[in-house]
Amino acid sequence: MNSAEVNLTLEPAADTPRPLALMPGEDLRGYLLAHLGRAVLFLMTFSSVVAVLLILLFVIVRSLGFLSGYSLVEFLASRDWRPTAESPVFGSLAIIVGSLYVSFAALVFAVPLGLLAAVFLSDILSWRARNIVKPVVEILAAIPSVAYGFFAVLVLAPWMQKEFGFSTGTNALNASLILAIMALPTIISVAEDSISAIGRELREASYSCGATRMETMIQVVIPAAHSGIIAAVVLGMMRAIGETMVVWMASGNATQIPRPWWDVSQSIRTMTATIAGEMGEAPEGSQHRGALFAIGVLLLILTFGLNIVSEYFLTRAKKATGKT
Amino acid sequence: MNLRLRGKLDQLFTAATGLSVVLLMLVLVAILGPMLYRGSNAVFFQDTVEFRKMQRDLFKRADDRSLETEIAEAEQFRQRAYAMLNEFRKGVDVEALSDQVRGIHRAFGEELRAKNVAGERYSELRSLTRDLRNNLETAFASQDKDEIRRITAEVLTHEGNPAFPGTSAEQLFTIARSFLATAEKVDLSRHHEYALALKEVEGLLFHTDDLPGLLGPRPDESQPLLVMLRYGATRWDQAQQLLDRFLWVREWVQAKPGKPLVMRRTPRADLFPETLWPLFTYVEQNIDKMLRPRFAAYWQFFLDDNVNSHYFGGVGPEILGTLFITVVGMLFVIPLGIVSAAYLVECAPDGQVIRIIRMCINTLAGVPSIVFGLFGLAFFVLFLFPLLGFEPKPCILAASMTLAVLTLPVMIRASEEAIRAVPRSYIEGSLALGSSQFHTFVTVTLPAALPGILTGIILSLSRIAGETAPILFTGAVSMGDIPKSILDPTRTLSYGSYDMAVGDRLAMMVPHNQYGMVVTLVMLILILNAVAIVLRTRVSRKLRGQ
Amino acid sequence: MRRVIVGMMMAVLAMGTAGYAETLQIDGSTTVGPIADAFAEYFKSVQPDLSITVKKTGSGDGAAALIDGRCDIATMSRFMKPEEFQKAVANNVLPVAHVVAMDGVCVAVHPSNPVKALTSAQIRDIYAGKITNWNQVGGSNTSIVVISRDTSSGTYETFESLVMKKTPMAAGVEYVNANPQAQARVRTTPGAIGYVGLGFQEGVKVLAIDGIMPTRQTIAKGSYPVSRPLFLFTNGYPKLGSVVHKFVSFYLTEKGQELVEAKGYVPLTNY
Repeated sequence: MNSAEVNLTLEPAADTPRPLALMPGEDLRGYLLAHLGRAVLFLMTFSSVVAVLLILLFVIVRSLGFLSGYSLVEFLASRDWRPTAESPVFGSLAIIVGSLYVSFAALVFAVPLGLLAAVFLSDILSWRARNIVKPVVEILAAIPSVAYGFFAVLVLAPWMQKEFGFSTGTNALNASLILAIMALPTIISVAEDSISAIGRELREASYSCGATRMETMIQVVIPAAHSGIIAAVVLGMMRAIGETMVVWMASGNATQIPRPWWDVSQSIRTMTATIAGEMGEAPEGSQHRGALFAIGVLLLILTFGLNIVSEYFLTRAKKATGKT
Repeated sequence: MNLRLRGKLDQLFTAATGLSVVLLMLVLVAILGPMLYRGSNAVFFQDTVEFRKMQRDLFKRADDRSLETEIAEAEQFRQRAYAMLNEFRKGVDVEALSDQVRGIHRAFGEELRAKNVAGERYSELRSLTRDLRNNLETAFASQDKDEIRRITAEVLTHEGNPAFPGTSAEQLFTIARSFLATAEKVDLSRHHEYALALKEVEGLLFHTDDLPGLLGPRPDESQPLLVMLRYGATRWDQAQQLLDRFLWVREWVQAKPGKPLVMRRTPRADLFPETLWPLFTYVEQNIDKMLRPRFAAYWQFFLDDNVNSHYFGGVGPEILGTLFITVVGMLFVIPLGIVSAAYLVECAPDGQVIRIIRMCINTLAGVPSIVFGLFGLAFFVLFLFPLLGFEPKPCILAASMTLAVLTLPVMIRASEEAIRAVPRSYIEGSLALGSSQFHTFVTVTLPAALPGILTGIILSLSRIAGETAPILFTGAVSMGDIPKSILDPTRTLSYGSYDMAVGDRLAMMVPHNQYGMVVTLVMLILILNAVAIVLRTRVSRKLRGQ
Repeated sequence: MRRVIVGMMMAVLAMGTAGYAETLQIDGSTTVGPIADAFAEYFKSVQPDLSITVKKTGSGDGAAALIDGRCDIATMSRFMKPEEFQKAVANNVLPVAHVVAMDGVCVAVHPSNPVKALTSAQIRDIYAGKITNWNQVGGSNTSIVVISRDTSSGTYETFESLVMKKTPMAAGVEYVNANPQAQARVRTTPGAIGYVGLGFQEGVKVLAIDGIMPTRQTIAKGSYPVSRPLFLFTNGYPKLGSVVHKFVSFYLTEKGQELVEAKGYVPLTNY
């Protein structure tokens, strides 16, 4: 045996901080730093919650004055929106219906198109071509809403008037088309993610039974991914409902419910356009401003509700594919 | 269902999916195409000598000598047109004569002020010239030759007043004399119509009170106050439009009773007696020699400030403002987003807290942008700034913070996906080597997640640069100086585009500038996107070891 | 640490105002905004070290900014409402109105429309939805497309109080955000009727109301039924000789008149 003993304890490298293998008593500094660090991170993350709560608070507080002094039923059920009349009437039914009408119409255009595109991107396109097509979808998402609004008013509206003989080019159809284009990137990316997440096994099993690609997609894969797709649709709808500039410029802003209901060539007004259009001139602290904030509360409630729905479907999708 | 039918359906389905993507691309082209085309007109167009004059005067860029010779040559051709007009006007245009005497009255007042004439004497002289002016105007408008003779005789008695020689008031008397001379000769009953038509023609040729004309003000005329009226048609397409209106009169006439009117074009020359007809043919044939169109690439559009509410000039300060706000906004959103994503992935305990946080992040994503704007005003500008000791006024800082809150959900979502996608083996390997959690995160996870984080950065960048509603109340102005610090408000491309669309009628006269601004915004965003995408591909290639 | 940060920010802030001797902040209506723009450009050309910012977010916002002390001059296309006055006084702000120009609200139709004049009663009925086809008022057989400014604009309020007179507008009336858009809609829609400011007559046909056409003279005299003043509001009467005072009295000069006319409004002076 040699007199020199081999040192078997392993020292951590001199330049790395020591790990938390020691007890708090032995390494108070490390312990505190780690937990303080965690607390700081938590606070920074919590800031988004704080932001949302502040916004909710801000909007609700400013609408309380109006809501306490005005009949809620009339606010929700009356079609007359006359804030500057001698005896103002604040009936937001036509406006709420307008928002929903335009969003649903946008989905009618966007969902089939988006699903087909998602299928194309996930299953049919080669990997290299995907890298070319995905940026196209991203570019659609990057175009600012002002540019879409310009296009809607200066190009689409006159074209519609000329081609279809509508009496007015700024109408529900115009707004829906543009909103569909704006919601498409969201729908495509989320739907494509969830379709891709369905493992190869399901597809291969279907093909091995002799199904064609169409039958596989329509009868096997899409139903399997249905939670993710519903979540995509809901997210697209959220985008459509929350859009301000485009509907303000392109929808005509008439406070009416189209009669008959399928006539998309009539002008309608959305909640976001009402807030954006009238906030600038409504005097501070007036009933009018309170009514606009009340519409904001409605919007937030709607968004929140849609959120809960999409969250539910997204968790179901994740559970179904085994990812948590 | 037999095999062939199923096969056919399958092919149809595949075709349909392919077509949907093709449709998407077509939509993109259909939206961007017309706008890019119309916007490129702001930079690539045919300019005229008036444009080069304007560039020399306002922006100090021209090759003086060649420009001077050009202007002189153009003037030669224009002189003939002026001469023809003057000849005609002498007998006929009482409106212009009225304007002339009004101008003389004003100029006389300025001369008196320049000479520092004492108060009483000043008002005495001025009221005298005012009376002379009013009398002459009555004479001009009258159709009774006797009345004209009487009034001009009365006016001419004041010619001897010692205060007038050497000042512009002298012209009053020359005008009175020549008017009397021509009034004796002309058929006064028609000169009203001729006068109206002549006024319109001169408005189209020189300028009206509020619209510029083909050639700009005459060299001997005083410069109008509004910059855009000091020059003629600066673009060849503008000149063509004005020329068309100069040569043709458009009227809406009743073709059939009970039906809408239809438009009819008649030559403007028909409104005048034969003596003025040569003017129209001369201008039509020589307009290119009077304006000297040339192809121009006005790339300084991206650097110049605008003049006269975007009638002239470019969008330089707006680009700067957008870049400012974007950079500061990213400074806020990137750390906050990455940190929040890191927490959600690494440290957060599963369960209620996480779900609440996630719910809130998603709700934030759905709040309409206008509500953010109001919130930013109420919270950042009116509440936070006084707390921190700043003035509660809108500025870049407030706008960036508002936009950061707006895009936070996007950034968090993308970062979270990216961080989650890092293979567990990397992290475990690092931890096994003795690194701490924090160190692992910074040196292993973050670099591996960089491509996805870059995606998040790309998306947030586009949103921040393009949003209008949130900065409406928190930091954007429609007119203002270039910001010197982040505590100043600024002009931006997004707000500027919106402002021009709803602003005053100037915007409609310069559609190329309107489109130019929108297209600049879209191009800026696309360029930033492209840079980030290239970065992302390079980083992901490095990660995969290529 | 906080002091260091605040100190740095102060330095940055000081840097920010270092270049300019005086600042002037103007906020308010989109109708009066262009006049403020033109005045501001002139002032800057004469006094380059003056820093002027102009915002156009709406008359109500302009009033709110004046009340909060966030601007020096509020441009408004309507008079301040009683609530705004009360808030102002509660904030120790005493609003003083300066009328900078007059504007007329012109009723316009597509140039192909044979109708040349309407009575205010007819216009009221059209906007209330009782008259729906042009042949009911002497035009051709085209259905009327009614276009109005949005309810928060001063132009709308003028039209409503002087023409509609408490009769509510029909539900099918289309609303546009601004003068250029109203003009564009009327210009491109054969059956349209809308109202625009005086400076937006290009490409549309202006009707006479009750026999009177909107011209500079009829508006200045007030004989045109739908004319309105445009205001600049300040906090108290501005100190004589200050830049605010010069700005709000600029409309009284010849140059001010020239600029007001160039923007398409009716000046109050007659040089």
